[in-house]
Amino acid sequence: MKAHPAWRDAVIAAIAVIVVLAIPLFHRSPAFEDFVIRLSAMALFATSLNLLVGNTGMVSFGHGMFYGLGAYAFALTMQMTDLSLPVAAVLAVLFTTFAALCVGAICVRLSTDYFAFITLAVQMLFFSIIISWQSLTGGDQGLRGGIPRREIFGFELASQLHLYQFCTVVAVLGLLALRHITTSPFGQTLRMIRDNENRVSFLGVVLWQARLRAFTIAGAFAGLGGVLAALFVSGAYPELADWPNSGQAIFAVMLGGINSFLGPVLGAMILLALNDVVTRFTEYYGLVLGIVILAFAVGLRRGVLDFLRLAWPGRAR
Amino acid sequence: MKLEIKNLTKAFGGIKAMDDVSLTFPSGSLSAVIGPNGAGKSTFFNLISGAFPADSGEVLLEGQDVLRLSKAERMRRGIGRAFQVASCFPTMTVAENLMATVTAHVGQWGNISRRFPPPGVRERAEEVMELVGLNKVSNVEAAILSHGDQKLLDIAIALALEPKVLLLDEPTAGMGPDERWRMIERVRGLWERGKLTLVFIEHDMDIVFQIASTIRVLCYGRVLAEGTPAEIRNNPAVIEAYLGAEHSGEAA
Amino acid sequence: MDLTALGVCLTTSACVVTQATSGLIVGMLLFLVAAGVTLIFGVLKIVNFAHGTFYMLGGYVAYTTLNVTDSYALAVLSGTLATALFGVLFERFLISRVYGSNVLMQLLVCYAVVLIFDDVVKIVWGPEFHAMGMPPAFQVPPLFIAGGVVPPFYIALIGITALIAIVLSLGLSMTRIGKTVRAAAINPQMVSALGVNTTLLFAIVFAVGGGLAGLAGALAAPVRSLSPGMGFSVLIESFIVTVIGGMGSIAGALVAALLIGLVRGFGTIGFPQFTDGLIYIMMIIILLLRPQGLFGRRS
Repeated sequence: MKAHPAWRDAVIAAIAVIVVLAIPLFHRSPAFEDFVIRLSAMALFATSLNLLVGNTGMVSFGHGMFYGLGAYAFALTMQMTDLSLPVAAVLAVLFTTFAALCVGAICVRLSTDYFAFITLAVQMLFFSIIISWQSLTGGDQGLRGGIPRREIFGFELASQLHLYQFCTVVAVLGLLALRHITTSPFGQTLRMIRDNENRVSFLGVVLWQARLRAFTIAGAFAGLGGVLAALFVSGAYPELADWPNSGQAIFAVMLGGINSFLGPVLGAMILLALNDVVTRFTEYYGLVLGIVILAFAVGLRRGVLDFLRLAWPGRAR
Repeated sequence: MKLEIKNLTKAFGGIKAMDDVSLTFPSGSLSAVIGPNGAGKSTFFNLISGAFPADSGEVLLEGQDVLRLSKAERMRRGIGRAFQVASCFPTMTVAENLMATVTAHVGQWGNISRRFPPPGVRERAEEVMELVGLNKVSNVEAAILSHGDQKLLDIAIALALEPKVLLLDEPTAGMGPDERWRMIERVRGLWERGKLTLVFIEHDMDIVFQIASTIRVLCYGRVLAEGTPAEIRNNPAVIEAYLGAEHSGEAA
Repeated sequence: MDLTALGVCLTTSACVVTQATSGLIVGMLLFLVAAGVTLIFGVLKIVNFAHGTFYMLGGYVAYTTLNVTDSYALAVLSGTLATALFGVLFERFLISRVYGSNVLMQLLVCYAVVLIFDDVVKIVWGPEFHAMGMPPAFQVPPLFIAGGVVPPFYIALIGITALIAIVLSLGLSMTRIGKTVRAAAINPQMVSALGVNTTLLFAIVFAVGGGLAGLAGALAAPVRSLSPGMGFSVLIESFIVTVIGGMGSIAGALVAALLIGLVRGFGTIGFPQFTDGLIYIMMIIILLLRPQGLFGRRS
């Protein structure tokens, strides 16, 4: 990893925000704006998962739990209290962070395979709690009734344009924060753990603490993604916390490239675009997606960005 | 620092891998540990460094027992080690390997408030690279280093932790004759410069007799003999249990 | 949660018999699926996420065969053989290409197969639910055992699955190939060093594992409805069984499957909304206390 100065990432992020925010000034396209809103949620979800999978080598099958939890916590806070949107969002993320800390505390000591299974089990447990606690969550129907649209700083999130702007800014800031973490000494420690956990334990790194921290941070950012998802669907649905959703995130991460910071974002983009395009032509989305996955897994054998980096070495990550 | 081992014992499911071993390594000494395969040499290092717990005994570092401490804590007290199979961080460059190690050593591993590396770390890493002679490959990923350089990197990681006692598990394993001598000269140089208490496991008897000031022979988890190279060379028990078989094997 | 209902049920012989029978059926069918998962994991160290698809295909093939031939025996046989073949093809053409690569790559290949075949089933059999109906031979009045209602088909199911469990364990302990499989589960390097044809061995393991899942799907078809995506819940449960019983242990799979079957049988009375949750809690507790599972060896 080349040590780029911190401002370089900030500049890239600022340019990204300006470009994305400028597009509607020239051309309004509801489909495109929807796409960006969904992408902002998915990008945070997938990138936070990659902090575990790619950076630390912890394969979690249950990351969707925190995505779903963020969505439910946010939607419920908005419905049940009069708090303003940013406060509710912060509370939801804090709640998810705490939940990730608790789940992580029992999971991170298990070795690879068992870690994957226990995270899956905890997520499925959470899913069945959502389904069975109907009075709170609305059960398998999801949380209905919408999210009260309260104005913030002159923003009215019922307007698609404002929601688009809000999600873009939140997602880019979130990604910037994650980027900062991966380039920090702690991020390097996670890489050491992935590479050689035996050696790391001799260096004064407390393995379970480092893993727990990574798990908690990843949960927090997945929760933030969940908040955006809840804003988009104006509610929360059990599917957000279901297994296939975790599978989607894993696929986004793998498709984009686990060794590139922006890989998961690209993966999420491809996955969403594929979904939008394919469902327009056929109802057999799974068939097409399955074939794409096979072609990628058996043919390319690595994520797109990782593949490009190998093809043109020396490029920035 | 003086390293003193007293009555160290470890059994794996009824088999005593380490049976009441007591040895003293004086401060600043350069000693070799030899013994036939399965003698318990690596187990000896693993117990001292805390890779797994001992059943009983004491490991005294300058008189202080460290046997109940975690491996990380033992490292902090000054026990460094390198592994038989070079143990480094393969996807990171040599410089990153060492900078990350130094970062962990100065207690900054959990820092998320700044960029990697923290100040001062790069300089320290460069010193260590200079010391072992890896500065020419500082930007090469560890995975594609030559075998010898990987072993050196492993030792460099141990050195970055500023050890007082350094345990090297077969620093020349898997090397050709020329490379072996170069490696062992380097190890000797480190010992001379660093005022280290250095203990190494070695199979090549020529190397052992050439550079070690004292030799300890382990066999079936027990101390068979200890002494100067001359004493070991003429010890009948050693010749019987170890040198005979090994020498005839190597001559073949 | 309805603990009074559970209490009442547990003190009524009729209720105990009915719930225990349905629990046994769930458990035995689950065992057939999980046996394949655990066998494949034991030998190839691959977690087969596509196993639910095998189960689904077994059910659908049996459904069509029954419609065409009117013979339930043929339906079960064809369901089993078709999935055994499918298992071999899946191993040869897809999974074998990602041996030794990242676990996530293997997961992705399986995930892709699940997605593809859920849609293939939609295309061939339609997206709607199908009911296979009771085979003609079993369309007889139910038996009453200690006051509990037990359809004869249930007894046949339990008998057949128990027979298969016995055949499977005998096959693993008595036959040459079975011994090789068990040896491979313990030490894969040794087996290839001994000159066993691993390509053939892996194909056989997938044929047996796939066949068992297909058999379970075919046997279950008369008592459960068929739908695309039906493999998923079975997959998750067979993972739970594998983890609880111990990865790679057939005996563990049997015990864990029966345990889950019984929890399901009686859980529907006491915790109708939260039976799944109970099972996940069981799995979490086992993983925390004994990660290698009830019958697993600590690695």
